[in-house]
Amino acid sequence: MLSEIAFYGAVETGLIYGLVAFGIYISFRVLDFPDLTVDGSFPLGAAVAAVLIISGWNPWIATGAAVLAGMAAGAVTAMLNVKLNILNLLASILTMIALYSVNLRIMGRPNVALLTEDTVLTPWYDLGLAYHQVPVLLFILVVIVAFILLWRFMKSETGLAMRATGANARMARAQGIATGGMIILGVALSNGLVGLAGALFAQSQGAADVTMGVGVIVIGLASLIGGEAVITPSTVVRALLACVFGAIIYRLAIAFALNADVLGLQAQDLNLITAVLVTLAIVLPGVRTSVMSKLSRKKA
Amino acid sequence: MISASDLRLTFGKGTPLENPALRGMSLTVNQGEFVTVIGSNGAGKSTFLNALAGEVMVDSGEIIVDNTDVTKLPTHKRANRVARVFQDPLAGTCEGLSIEENLALAIKRGQRRGLTAAVKKQYMEKFRDSLSSLKLGLENRLGDKMGLLSGGQRQAVSLLMASLTPSSILLLDEHTAALDPKTAAFVLELTEKIIEEQKLTALMVTHSMKQALEVGSRTVMLHQGQVVFDIAGKEREGLEVKDLLGLFEKQRGLSVDDDSLLLG
Repeated sequence: MLSEIAFYGAVETGLIYGLVAFGIYISFRVLDFPDLTVDGSFPLGAAVAAVLIISGWNPWIATGAAVLAGMAAGAVTAMLNVKLNILNLLASILTMIALYSVNLRIMGRPNVALLTEDTVLTPWYDLGLAYHQVPVLLFILVVIVAFILLWRFMKSETGLAMRATGANARMARAQGIATGGMIILGVALSNGLVGLAGALFAQSQGAADVTMGVGVIVIGLASLIGGEAVITPSTVVRALLACVFGAIIYRLAIAFALNADVLGLQAQDLNLITAVLVTLAIVLPGVRTSVMSKLSRKKA
Repeated sequence: MISASDLRLTFGKGTPLENPALRGMSLTVNQGEFVTVIGSNGAGKSTFLNALAGEVMVDSGEIIVDNTDVTKLPTHKRANRVARVFQDPLAGTCEGLSIEENLALAIKRGQRRGLTAAVKKQYMEKFRDSLSSLKLGLENRLGDKMGLLSGGQRQAVSLLMASLTPSSILLLDEHTAALDPKTAAFVLELTEKIIEEQKLTALMVTHSMKQALEVGSRTVMLHQGQVVFDIAGKEREGLEVKDLLGLFEKQRGLSVDDDSLLLG
């Protein structure tokens, strides 16, 4: 069975990936923009926050800078697409590759340790909670704030214009919406959230590493798709809830799979489990509806 | 008022597929006029409408809307002056958004969009009133997803959206062509009603000569990217499809070989 520490650890990482899933929801779902920049903007956020923290900056300011750095990375991807007409997927791969060098430059070495530094988590350890519960508490608060801001934004005039841009660009233009600007804003916002996630991840794990971004896009997508399988994303609120719960469920499922000795799975099987879980998440809703319709037919 | 002068546009310039779509198209539509536009396939009807809306940029010529030169402006910068209904009933609305969200998008057409809630309480009365004029019962379904509506219903809502805020010109691009005959008649009737009630200036492209003569106050025929004739007032009254064909042949010394023009 899962130990208490492993459980809290899974929830903690799940909350961070909930922020990534918010970002992926904006790019993949709202804008219909398959954006792989996140594999670069996640370690970018971590690198910026870590370097600023070790240079003595306030960890919250460092985290804010990480958000801005993520937004800048997203804006670059979107501008490659909007201004230079590069295919969206390719544009995001170009930025992702470029960010690998940028991240190395920012850190000056492949990784930066934060174990002895004050982070956003430090003051919270004085509250008297167990050591492994502190990050969960703080990240729940961060996720709630991000959730509310994002929900309000999606319901605003600008947010509605962004949703229309992704759903029907021709109609959006006819309504006077600058669709190119909306794509730049949306992809920037998306990567800002991923930068935030990277910054928090580095602070809770005690280090920023240039390779920590590998596969973030897949885990984020797994969270998004898994969440949508559990909570049908018919409204903005439900879609955002799906992101958070999808991410937590995903991390818990991974933790259970690795902890269940009967299965004989080990850490190196992680990517295989991810692929299986994503496949299940995509296939299961279809199975559910067909079973439901069979049941209701029997009743009738 | 909208005035297009000597519009020229060639697609695929310098390639074997070079296609001159507009060859010196000029047309002035005055305030309050309802112009119907006909022409065979490839006459340049849709290109002309797209050029007016800003979806395509002309190679040369000038487009003036209410004394402002909009020739170089992209679609979204013309949207405050130009309203539009597309041929495809799915193109004018967002199916993933609710009816009220679609209307909220349209009520801010061409205006600055801020961070306040998009669907505002003060819009509700206007939304309900205009939806109830459609007599489709949609005024009680404001929260429903647009995708739940039929093609005809969606086209009716598109029309409503285009007339929710004032415009200098309303462009209708064969907006009844993709509907079944009964629904098409309903949408056309609604079009006439809205244009008359709000005294809109409108340009309607149609594939049917009959419709072109029955509706509106002026009819323009396009051929090979130019206006071949332009009739209004007394001259237009009592004119029938065969007269129109005669007029066309006389003007061009050509015969119309596109049967689809005779249909409808």
